[in-house]
Amino acid sequence: MLQIKDLEAKIDNKEILKGLNLEIKPGEVHAIMGPNGSGKSTLSNVLSGKKGYTVSGDVTYFNENLLDLEIEERAHKGIFLAFQYPLEIPGVNTNIFLKTSLNAIKKARGEKELDAIEFLKLVKQKASELKFDEKILSRQLNVGFSGGEKKKNEILQMSILNPKLSILDETDSGLDIDALKIVSEGVNALRSKESSFLIITHYQRLLEYIKPDFVHVLINGKIVKSGGSELALELEHNGYESLS
Amino acid sequence: MEQLKVDFDKVIESLKLSEESINFRKKNFNQFVENGFPNKRVEDWKFSDLNQIISSNIENLHFHTDFELGEIDETTFIDKFEHNKIIFHNGIISKVDFSFEDETKVLITRDLNQNENSKEVNSLVSLNNALIASYIGITVKENYSLTKPLIIYNITTKELKSTAINLKTDIVIEKNSSLKLINLFDDNSENNFINIVQNFDISQDAILKNYKIDHKKNSNIKYSYNNINLERNSISENFIFSTGSKFMKNEINCNLNDEYSSAFINGIINLKDSQHHEIKTNINHLAENTKSYQLIKSVLNDNAKGVYQGKIYVDSKAQKTNGYQLSKALLLSENTEFDGKPELEIYADDVKCSHGATSGSLDEDAIFYLMSRGLSNQQSKELLINGFLLDAVEKITDIEIKDLIKNIIGITE
Repeated sequence: MLQIKDLEAKIDNKEILKGLNLEIKPGEVHAIMGPNGSGKSTLSNVLSGKKGYTVSGDVTYFNENLLDLEIEERAHKGIFLAFQYPLEIPGVNTNIFLKTSLNAIKKARGEKELDAIEFLKLVKQKASELKFDEKILSRQLNVGFSGGEKKKNEILQMSILNPKLSILDETDSGLDIDALKIVSEGVNALRSKESSFLIITHYQRLLEYIKPDFVHVLINGKIVKSGGSELALELEHNGYESLS
Repeated sequence: MEQLKVDFDKVIESLKLSEESINFRKKNFNQFVENGFPNKRVEDWKFSDLNQIISSNIENLHFHTDFELGEIDETTFIDKFEHNKIIFHNGIISKVDFSFEDETKVLITRDLNQNENSKEVNSLVSLNNALIASYIGITVKENYSLTKPLIIYNITTKELKSTAINLKTDIVIEKNSSLKLINLFDDNSENNFINIVQNFDISQDAILKNYKIDHKKNSNIKYSYNNINLERNSISENFIFSTGSKFMKNEINCNLNDEYSSAFINGIINLKDSQHHEIKTNINHLAENTKSYQLIKSVLNDNAKGVYQGKIYVDSKAQKTNGYQLSKALLLSENTEFDGKPELEIYADDVKCSHGATSGSLDEDAIFYLMSRGLSNQQSKELLINGFLLDAVEKITDIEIKDLIKNIIGITE
């Protein structure tokens, strides 16, 4: 579903991604690990269309040139980014935001939009699966949410929007062990033959709960090593030093 | 000025006034003639040169109306919301309807004979005193809360052109009484100057809730002056929605005369094209344990200009004052201008007073976040702006009126 060839990305003339190659097939879970500053967040930003980067190379997503698509078009076509730092949006009710988002995507796909009652039913069900307190949904989006609540909210959005490719940018950072379990269960519940995941993380801790099919090591803007889930453990023991 | 003199004589001639009252008007007329429309050399008007704004927007300004009033489109009245009504139609009162109230508790006067010895405020209030052709005074008697809100409709129709109209309302709320008031502007006219003076005397334990809504796009120029006197343990809650007119200045002078009185002023300025709106407040803390709170949210597009001048004065007697003001502005194009001038003048030593002001653009990261969830750029911006403004609307304490206003101004939760 996704082929990345020789992807380069610059910001303010600083080269961050320096020829990255990656292929993700339907149903696969890929993990990208790497030290600080290796380009992990840049990769997730570039894939979801954030402005401000000068990008070259080819990124093909379901036979389309992904780099030509606007941010929201990528969302309509099933790309979802779970943010490392979800933004606080004052004055925007979480429930209304979720409904606007879901219906924008449904509309773009030519599907029937959900009315208030259908939406409420869906969101209640998803929230209870994630052990997410429903009351939070009537509050302003992420405003005053704890770190764990913000991350759970990302996963709740993911499960409501039901994306084809989910990119999780350091979703494990700032989570305690209970929240980590809940978040992982949420992700595992979404795994299917059609949906793929790109999990970006510092530590292999998250990968104990979400078992990846492939692990890639990103150092200095390039993938320097790829392997199976055992590679994560190896990195945990030896660090990134030995690979750079 | 020639036109002004001719029109002043016509106004005096057309109204049957007492000699005292004519003298009062002449005095005020001379005050206006001496000073003219305020220009930027007047400190309070340095961000809004009204003289220049009027001369560049209105040709051959007239000060007297003698045409047929025209028809009012009654479908624009608020329905499914029971209320008392006063209708100013091109500056003339065409309806006063308090049918929901006990008529012994709400007293109305329309007597134009006024000769109050109030001090000179500014040239526009003088102009208003000199020229008003229609006046209403309301007294809410002791221990009476109106069962329904009062809506004052300020309607102008297309017959009104290049004319200055002057409206005046005096409202007295006696002890332990309350009034909810909505001033609603419905402009269907072009290039006029509308000058509104409202005085409020709020007695002990009384409450005034005053909501002013200028939402319909129009090319008129407006000035609204509110003078509010608050006695012991009384409350004045004000909300201003300033978005319709070409130019509008809302000025509120509020005197907290006795202990435990409080004033709230929340406002929204939301402008586009070359609109220019100002909110100017003077809050005078004149007694101990008085409280004031102000929140102004501005959104400026295109070439629009917004101004907020907020002054808090604390008298040496006014210990334990609590005064607060915050102004936040969103500047959505490079050509917008926002001028904020907070002023604290404090002569007491045991007070809590603070102010804050921010201006900036929409958060690009927040737009990215919303777009990554499938919302278009436009939708994301609208959602963020709505959220930004909602804050001020949420300060409205009357739930029913809050919902009505949200509906009128198109802000959702």
